[in-house]
Amino acid sequence: MALPTKILPGFSATLYAQPSATPTPLTTANLSVLGSVSPLAISGNLVPVEAIPAFGQDDAVASFMVAGSRQSDKIPVQSAPTSMSITAAWNPSDTVLLLLRADAYNGTIDRTYVIAATDGTNTIYYAFNGRVSQWTIDAAPGAEAKVNFTIHPRGNQYGWSNTV
Amino acid sequence: MTAQQNPVTYARAIQAALTTIVTPVPVYATFNRNFATEPKFVTWMLRNIHQPVYTGIYQSVKGIDTPVFQISIFTQVIEDGFTISNQILQSLHGYSGLFGGATYGIQISKADVQWLYNTYDNDEKLGQVILDCTLDIPT
Repeated sequence: MALPTKILPGFSATLYAQPSATPTPLTTANLSVLGSVSPLAISGNLVPVEAIPAFGQDDAVASFMVAGSRQSDKIPVQSAPTSMSITAAWNPSDTVLLLLRADAYNGTIDRTYVIAATDGTNTIYYAFNGRVSQWTIDAAPGAEAKVNFTIHPRGNQYGWSNTV
Repeated sequence: MTAQQNPVTYARAIQAALTTIVTPVPVYATFNRNFATEPKFVTWMLRNIHQPVYTGIYQSVKGIDTPVFQISIFTQVIEDGFTISNQILQSLHGYSGLFGGATYGIQISKADVQWLYNTYDNDEKLGQVILDCTLDIPT
């Protein structure tokens, strides 16, 4: 098994959150290590999200202009991992959602999150450390109640790995 | 974590609930021509049991169940059909709680009845009123 070599369907992605109310997030190096990341990607750590939002790195650029010069210059800089706005079906007793609710209340708890996307055989993992911000319940009638929250990653603390 | 509920559970609850609402008018799960000798009766059909399916490899990541059942009221006197439809509307529309009584009941968040149309079947000599009822079921 290795990195998937197929175009993956969107619904194949799953989000996991590191357990424990006071987690010790993975080191930046370990976020790219399969042996560290894959133990977090288990059903007990599942975050019941509707759809995985865009993940990866934000665009980041420094631009400056020189007087008399016709064009400005744009210099790519190290870009931060992107924030993720997540919608999950709201079960008030879901243990993982309760952990994230407590994170939002606290505001400073760092936790490792893992997104796994699979073709059924091979899996690619994107792992990052982040904090939960925002916690709103959308109780619009006509469907299940949803909880909306945002995970803001810590700068530079992310990594990719895959099954080998 | 959501499990897909058994349609049998819904069917039993619907039969029990409708029977309670329109008694003594008989309620049948499917239409049988022999019953057309009765001056008034109610049948129902269950359809569109569906939980929205969400992302990931786990089967349990789903939303609530929202089955729909159609209620068909057959009456020899058309006005009787409208009267029975009103009984159902008054009892069921907006109802929240135990649906189907103590034996077969299930907890529902809301029943939403849509009064669709009335019609007349010249072969059967029966007036009909058709209603749809959507159940929101916390799962």
